[in-house]
Amino acid sequence: MSTHRSDGPGVAVARPWRAFGRAVLLEGRAARGRLVFFIGALSVGVAAVVGVAALVGAFEAGLRSESRTLLGGDLRAEARRPLPDSVKTALDDLPHARADLRELAATASQGDRSRLVELKVISGGFPFAGELTLEPVDFPVRELDGEGVVVAPDLAASLGAEIGDEILLGGATFQLRALVVDEPDRIGFQMSLGPRAILSAEGFARTDLEGLTSRARYLSVWSFAEDYDAARLAELKERLESAVDEPEFLRVQSHTEAQPSIRRSLVQVEKFLGLVALLSLLLGGLGVSQIVRAWLAGRTQAVAVLRCLGLRAREIAVLYLGNVMLLALIGSAFGALAGMLVPIGVRALAPDLFAGPGTTLIQPLAALRGAGLGVAVAVLFSLPSLTTVWSVAPAVALRAESAPLPVPRSVRWLAPLAVALGLVSVARLQGGSWLEALAFTGGLALLALVLWGGAWLLSWLVARVPRGRIPATLSHGLASLARPGAGTTGAIVALGLGVLVVVSMGLVAGGLRRELQESLPEDAPSVFLLDVQPDQWEAVREDLSEVGARAVGTAPVAMGRLRAIDGVPVKDLIEGRRDAGRAAWMFTRELRMTWLEELAPDNEIIDGELWSNPDEFELSVEVEFARSMGVEVGSRVRIDVQGIAVDLLVTSLRTVEWQSFDINFFLVVEPGALEGAPHFRLAVARIEPPEREMELQTELAGSVPNVTMLRVRPLLEALGVLVARITAGVRGLGAFTIVTGLVILAGSVATSALRRGREAALLKSLGVTRGGVARLFAVEFALVGLVAGLIGSLGAVILAQVFLTQVADVAAAVEWSAIGYSTLGTVVLAVAAGLLASRKPLSAPPADTLRG
Amino acid sequence: MSSSPVIEARGLVKRMPSGERLLTILEGIDLGIEAGELVAVLGPSGSGKSTLLALLAGLDRPTEGTVCLDGTELAGLGEDELALVRRRRVGFVFQSFQLLPNLTAFENVALPLELTGIPDANERATKVLGEVGLAARRDHYPAQLSGGEQQRVAVARAFAGEPSVLFADEPTGNLDGSTGERVLELLLDLRARHGTTLVLVTHDPKIAARAERRVHLRDGRLERDERNQDA
Repeated sequence: MSTHRSDGPGVAVARPWRAFGRAVLLEGRAARGRLVFFIGALSVGVAAVVGVAALVGAFEAGLRSESRTLLGGDLRAEARRPLPDSVKTALDDLPHARADLRELAATASQGDRSRLVELKVISGGFPFAGELTLEPVDFPVRELDGEGVVVAPDLAASLGAEIGDEILLGGATFQLRALVVDEPDRIGFQMSLGPRAILSAEGFARTDLEGLTSRARYLSVWSFAEDYDAARLAELKERLESAVDEPEFLRVQSHTEAQPSIRRSLVQVEKFLGLVALLSLLLGGLGVSQIVRAWLAGRTQAVAVLRCLGLRAREIAVLYLGNVMLLALIGSAFGALAGMLVPIGVRALAPDLFAGPGTTLIQPLAALRGAGLGVAVAVLFSLPSLTTVWSVAPAVALRAESAPLPVPRSVRWLAPLAVALGLVSVARLQGGSWLEALAFTGGLALLALVLWGGAWLLSWLVARVPRGRIPATLSHGLASLARPGAGTTGAIVALGLGVLVVVSMGLVAGGLRRELQESLPEDAPSVFLLDVQPDQWEAVREDLSEVGARAVGTAPVAMGRLRAIDGVPVKDLIEGRRDAGRAAWMFTRELRMTWLEELAPDNEIIDGELWSNPDEFELSVEVEFARSMGVEVGSRVRIDVQGIAVDLLVTSLRTVEWQSFDINFFLVVEPGALEGAPHFRLAVARIEPPEREMELQTELAGSVPNVTMLRVRPLLEALGVLVARITAGVRGLGAFTIVTGLVILAGSVATSALRRGREAALLKSLGVTRGGVARLFAVEFALVGLVAGLIGSLGAVILAQVFLTQVADVAAAVEWSAIGYSTLGTVVLAVAAGLLASRKPLSAPPADTLRG
Repeated sequence: MSSSPVIEARGLVKRMPSGERLLTILEGIDLGIEAGELVAVLGPSGSGKSTLLALLAGLDRPTEGTVCLDGTELAGLGEDELALVRRRRVGFVFQSFQLLPNLTAFENVALPLELTGIPDANERATKVLGEVGLAARRDHYPAQLSGGEQQRVAVARAFAGEPSVLFADEPTGNLDGSTGERVLELLLDLRARHGTTLVLVTHDPKIAARAERRVHLRDGRLERDERNQDA
């Protein structure tokens, strides 16, 4: 824009930017009444958005700052099979130190107590970066000899072992040397099978676990004498990958990548929680819109005077927009400050989620971004309300009843268009892709529309209730709600959406937890025994019968790796896929196969016929697995079983009822094809009472130490805790939306304070007590809560039911009772918020109000 | 005075919807006002005085007819263009003062000038507040001023922009007798000093007696247009 403008014929004046700035600040003087609610509605949403971003940012910052510590060195290679020497020696030309490690599940026991542990075998001076925190502190873990073990405190506690005691691990006895208080390369994001135990390579050599476990991870960690940059480390990574024929099975990470898999998960979490938080911010925007509308309605005369004085509508709109921005900045700053405290709070509650002590908890960028979003949302949502400036006729300054002016078409259409585009852009910024942003905005608009419809229906219905036949208190509440321009629609929409988020998350969490903990079939196995060698099976069977196990099942398991499908090698299969990362994992993962004459009853053939081709070895594939691998009946699959290629023809696809918890496999091979291959047995059994499972575990730890016993109940409990943690996060954010809804309700009540004041004064002068007036108001607020609660919780029940039955595949009963208690809760909250906002008109002496 | 009319209205008609029918507020008004004239528009309540004022000032649009204000035909102008005409050529004094409650007396005068791009807004505001005798109360808010003082601030605001035409709608209507008189004296004095055309709506005979010309309305029609020889 130029610095001068044409201002009527022959007039040119300086652009009055400063005057506009001053006018914006001066308008703020009239803003005190709405300040609290404007800032309140916006800051809650901004706090939610900043909280999520700051938390994820703090996690990420921790991962980056502790990246060497988390990796234990500069470079790490890992595989599910022993790393070949070609990998281990690939970087020998560079000055470095290398440690070879492995991780596996094993059983530790002492006396008659035992527990499944995650065993880590260390060597070569590991860790190269960071230190294990041990107790006693002076114990040097790098000097752990072949006779000693260090374990996590909860393992020592559950075994009743103290420093110096002996522990049985993998058939060998070790002396407990120290407790591992903190392990720098382990953070509490993932679910674990059990507490940590650490042995030296010499110690592990004394156990019976070598070569007899199928679930080991093999790792090599390098620490270089020089400090290499990311590019050099990437080059070394490539060298490691090219040192093997099948690089797909190898996962190499440099410390500069800082835990890519965890960071990928964090991005997903941020995306999801970020959108839930955005919901709260958008509702805040709705509140802002209502407050601005009420504010401008109260400033009609001022707008008319300004128009009389020669200001154009757009100049007046800019003036008020400036004021909106000023308040939005204040509200967003408050929210951003509150949101920045979230990582500090979470760290205080769950320190194990953060990597190392150096994590940066203050995330200024997250705060800036959130505050920017807050201002943008406030401006967007106030645009439609600001268009009312155009409709104020200057003649209103002379005659209040002057007819409103028509709003220009460009202004009328531009505002909603800007809101729609702005919403999708904001969602895109939070959610990641345009498609997700559109889906989110569309879904939200639909829900808001349903709630708005509910609010409208309520107003329509209450206007038609024959009030003469109902008690006076209720009649007055209904009349207040039916009054034109009561301003409760926004509150109903916001509260309803909040209720929907919180209640649906509660129902989903509850449904999943019940499914995990209670829905096991009567005879479902309670223990899984892994890695039972063929010659150990008889002994294991005896141990099982000694503890009264029933529903004992067993199957042979051979491990293999996919080589080719229909003649196309795995390498080419991966390259042809769009999701190359996932495909690499899927096609190179270790495959567990069994062989059976007949399928278990929880399997159903849906395509082809089992063992129907006498000329070839056949393969039966679970249907979803077949889909993800891209195989169908007639496909030829080549699998590498311990170095020998086995060709199999897919002759049947089947569904499996995994919820039975029985032994089931994705791949079942025709008997005869694999019997000669090295294999082990998998066994399942039900043991009652659960305490006898511990007896069996202790027995097996002594007799067959390589056998890993997984107890289903504690695993499901741990999974339940994980589900509860995730859903608690979402529900916490959902609570933000409820708070926003209540602020909006209180805001709409406060903006009608003058009307309420007059009403209260009039009623008091007619002899109604203050309590009586409060009851009249309470009925109105209760009705708002009732509608928001009813629609929100009904929507929640439907959403949760659809999610549980269609997405999570859980047979859950519809929880109609949730509608009752959550509606009641919403009513109580709405009444409390409404009365709190009405306390001024309620307490004012009637004479003051009536005198005006 | 023998100059061309600063305001010329021809065949003004104003109809407004009232329920399902159209209510005629003004019917066939023809009026010409010379520059520097003091014209009082008189008539009983509901005769269409304020509506005529709004149409002459470009605050409202006639259903039929045209208004030419200071050489500009208002009929073809959009809302923004009308605002620009008001900005430079028109001032207002309202019955209910219409001061912005969040601004001090000084700000009420200065800010509109600043917003409309007048460079010496503060100086002008200080001068005109002095002229209405409120220099000492410049930092008071409307709520801290009496009704008469508020109207004096409104008068100062109206003159500060140096308009060629000032419209006043019952400027003493909300004031007691003596305060009203003082405000009227001030208004007439400033008008004389600035040479401003003043069109005021009133039903106060005392004010009407001071006008050079009296336009009488009845039931939306121009009943009588008379020169006041005593003024």
